[in-house]
Amino acid sequence: MYQNLTLFRTAAAIADHAGQRLGAVAQNIANADTPGYRPRHLAPFEPDRAAGLSEQMRQTRDGHLAAPPAEAIFGARITQAEASPNGNSVSIEREMAEAAQISSQQQRALAVYRHGMTVLRTVIGR
Amino acid sequence: MNNLYSALKVAASGLEAQSQRLRHVSENIANADTPGYRRKTISFDEVMQHGQRTGAVEAGPVRLDPRQLEQIYDPSNPMADADGYYDGSNVDLLIEIADAREAQRSYEANLKLFDQVRQMSSALFDLLRK
Repeated sequence: MYQNLTLFRTAAAIADHAGQRLGAVAQNIANADTPGYRPRHLAPFEPDRAAGLSEQMRQTRDGHLAAPPAEAIFGARITQAEASPNGNSVSIEREMAEAAQISSQQQRALAVYRHGMTVLRTVIGR
Repeated sequence: MNNLYSALKVAASGLEAQSQRLRHVSENIANADTPGYRRKTISFDEVMQHGQRTGAVEAGPVRLDPRQLEQIYDPSNPMADADGYYDGSNVDLLIEIADAREAQRSYEANLKLFDQVRQMSSALFDLLRK
């Protein structure tokens, strides 16, 4: 366990995934009244795909090449729902439920991370 | 962390767009009795940057409602024509109130999400503090 801290890496990847999911929800809610907009949601977390996260290009300045969007790694799905007359199919209620799920996903990941730290501290006797 | 900041930015753009919409609604209501006033409408668009979608939203250009102005009969009005009619505004208060309600609901949803992003990033900082 102590040579290869997969536990921490996975916990961090889950927290990162929660952040990306929240980004998608923020976009959906911001566009809740944009004509013709279809809501996008990130696919659920998969450890195999998360490995690609650490290897992707990072955009640290505006002039840099754009990093591939999170959707390219986890895959986004467009949610099918009945659209309102202006072609928009965002449901604020569904987005709120998704946001609540995301919050618990992040808390879970951080709890695992914190617990891992406690174990490590115990090991080194502090 | 970067994702959380971009979510914050997107939520802020939603707040701005909705408040702009609310401002136009209040302008319309204030001018409901102004002769010859046409109600203003705005539509929302997704913001594109370098040909990529950013997910943020912006309020499009202001357009005037082309619906016919209400004809008001008042021969004593200085603007009345030979038949005693003058142009009122084409503001329908019921529509404006409904629009204001919808804008308020969307504003609150954006605000709630903004708050959640802040809570999630402070949970991350709490990890550092220990």
